[in-house]
Amino acid sequence: MVKNKSAQLKIQQMTFMLIAVTLFFVLVGLFVLSIKTYGLKKIANNLEEENAKLLVAKLANSPEFSCGDVYSYSEINCVDADKVIVLKDRKEYADFWKVANIEIRKIYPVTANKECSLKNYPDCNIIKVFSKDVNAGAYQSNFVSLCRTEILEGEKYDKCELAKILVNYEVKE
Amino acid sequence: MKTRGELQISFGWLFAIIAGISILFLAIFISTKIIKTEQGEADTTTAKKLDVLLNPLETSFESGKTTTIALSSETKIYNKCEDIGNFGKQLIQISQKSFGEYSDTGIDVSFPNKYIFSDEVVEGKKFYLTSKPFNYPFKVSDLIFLTSKEYCFVDAPEEIENEISDFQENIKVENCSDESVKICFMEEGCDVDVYWGRQYVQKGDEKLYFSENLLYAAIFSDKDIYECQVKRLMKRTEELASLYLDKSVFVANKGCYSNLEIELISLKESAKNFDISENFDSIDYLADSLNQKNKMSECKLW
Repeated sequence: MVKNKSAQLKIQQMTFMLIAVTLFFVLVGLFVLSIKTYGLKKIANNLEEENAKLLVAKLANSPEFSCGDVYSYSEINCVDADKVIVLKDRKEYADFWKVANIEIRKIYPVTANKECSLKNYPDCNIIKVFSKDVNAGAYQSNFVSLCRTEILEGEKYDKCELAKILVNYEVKE
Repeated sequence: MKTRGELQISFGWLFAIIAGISILFLAIFISTKIIKTEQGEADTTTAKKLDVLLNPLETSFESGKTTTIALSSETKIYNKCEDIGNFGKQLIQISQKSFGEYSDTGIDVSFPNKYIFSDEVVEGKKFYLTSKPFNYPFKVSDLIFLTSKEYCFVDAPEEIENEISDFQENIKVENCSDESVKICFMEEGCDVDVYWGRQYVQKGDEKLYFSENLLYAAIFSDKDIYECQVKRLMKRTEELASLYLDKSVFVANKGCYSNLEIELISLKESAKNFDISENFDSIDYLADSLNQKNKMSECKLW
């Protein structure tokens, strides 16, 4: 009877020990996993930031933005404002560049901040091409010339202004 | 009573041994899983990095751009393409060699704004990337050619020879090795036969029709990849035609008339109905006439 009790006690001790060891490993595992997940998110955000940096440098030359041969002095990094204003908020393009926001800000000549729409264009200075309601990272920007066609007394002429194209990416949390 | 030779193990010992073995097996199992996950993570990160590195290949006024990617270990790049949705998707998967074996492929990395033309699996340590613009008639996108093998252009027309001189060191016109993929322009029976006049490329029994710079796309890619990417390009052509149509109406309201609306609607419809590369034959003339009209227009759209 005494021998049986002692064996039961030993089994109990062993069980507690095993539970403690398992719990310890589970906790260590969770700790390692949280560090790994944090590292992975950091890598993902760094890659998104890198992508935004490289994209902003080249976005002005993509077909949806570029001036092509429309304007007499259009060279690289020329954005066609007449094209971008009709591109604004097109649902088809919402996920096309995989970034959170794309906007173009006219910086010279300096005017009061006013968002562009088809109604007030060109008397405005911010074209929000796409805007997603997400946690967005820092803006990456690049200087561009923003050109459009103007008509004065029946005569067509090109008007180009200095602008910045801004892109920011979605931060993974 | 004790029997001779009987092994006496107490219940405590037995319990400890069984529990120990279970913990050991569990630890080995978890470690193996972690190593596999780490490898998958590394592969997926490499695929995403590749996507990021493709951004600088966007051309503006250049006729093309080239770059090389050298990886630390033997790698397989799986090129996949989906033509569902507004623009379809370019997908890539990476599998890298470790301990003499290729890992399971990582997670698909997708991007809708790029078009990679290659074999379904491209293998090597050094990869060559070349981009060329695709205009139909306005710029639609840049075509990216991904290669790792050596290609040999035999009897190519001067125009092509000049163009491929800007490509990378794995594209040759002379001193080709026996292992190189032969691309012939004058004779038949090579790995790839180009029928320049009839605008198609023959690979075995398969015919890949091309237009413009898609000649190189047809040479460097498998038929399934080629047909899918061409369909995606036509989806983007459709969207761009719609964008230019809206622009033409918008600038017309200002008093600047392009008069390209009817042709743009036709192009949009033709791009929408585009099925296989053989359809290029019927759309090429429309793209050409639209290009001429735009050039002559008082108010150019692109």
